[in-house]
Amino acid sequence: MQSKRFVIVGTGGIGTWLASGLVRLLEWKMPGSGLILVDGDNYEEKNKERQDFTKLGNKAVVKAAELTPQFPKTTIIPVPKWVVSDDNTGVSTDSDSPRIKASDLLIDGDVVFAVVDNFAARKILFDAAAKLMNVDVFTGGNDDALFGSIYHYQRRDGKNITEHPVVFHPEYENPPDKNPGELSCQERSKLEGGTQLLATNMAVAAFILGRVHKTIVLDQSPEETEIYFDLGLGKSEPYNRMVSQVNQPAMV
Amino acid sequence: MDQSASQNQPSASQGIANVRFGVYNQPSNIGGKTVSQAREQFSRLWGIPTDAVAYKGKDKLDENYVIQPGDNVEFHRRAGEKG
Repeated sequence: MQSKRFVIVGTGGIGTWLASGLVRLLEWKMPGSGLILVDGDNYEEKNKERQDFTKLGNKAVVKAAELTPQFPKTTIIPVPKWVVSDDNTGVSTDSDSPRIKASDLLIDGDVVFAVVDNFAARKILFDAAAKLMNVDVFTGGNDDALFGSIYHYQRRDGKNITEHPVVFHPEYENPPDKNPGELSCQERSKLEGGTQLLATNMAVAAFILGRVHKTIVLDQSPEETEIYFDLGLGKSEPYNRMVSQVNQPAMV
Repeated sequence: MDQSASQNQPSASQGIANVRFGVYNQPSNIGGKTVSQAREQFSRLWGIPTDAVAYKGKDKLDENYVIQPGDNVEFHRRAGEKG
């Protein structure tokens, strides 16, 4: 299996569990791969309820330091920065909020994980990926209870294999939230993490990891492009968002 | 491209179409009903918001679109936001 570059943007509620699982997948299924962890935020004591870390400090740096000695066949690189768009008009400065443009972060062939806590930053990553020839972007999120969803955007040879999520989700076209990387420290400190649940964060990470195993490790079709789940109901439902399939009426 | 009622005139013919919203997916006898009638029928069961856009494939459906037997009608469920 060929080694690849994997980029996790956001190492918080979902990202910590995803990083711990993904690095194991890479170490044994795709040794020699690179794992880049990107986050401008810090782990705080209050995050321990549902985030997996052993020290306080920048999330990308702390997580990379934890995983590196355990997994020598994977090169783990922390990027302690906030991801912003090319036309970033935010009020943050590099001194209080180190930033990196999505187009500078991503390269052709990347497998990207947009596991941040807002639609605005996810859209920035999807839009940057849409300019690449070959890329996979997995995103996932949850509400404050037991509902969550994931989406897999795939491009090959300059064409969308699965639809850009904006086609089905107007919340990506006009994000109702703000990218924390474009806010000042003071504004960012006022953002609330809500009352998310550990189980839902972990389930989002597990669903994404399952899709990575099927579509990247086994190189199979991304036809279960989007998956909704509800842990309270014990239900999950896959949606086929492949460009070649999406306009065909289908009785399930 | 929006699909409006003018493309599918109301008819008395009924039949099974598929209705989806998030984790819910159910074949139902809604052929011949409009999108707004289908939403009303399923909103109480599934909690579909009144402003949830309906799709067939990637086409947005007009509120007055008449659902055809065999259609796969999906009401938009907002993606998970937090993480």
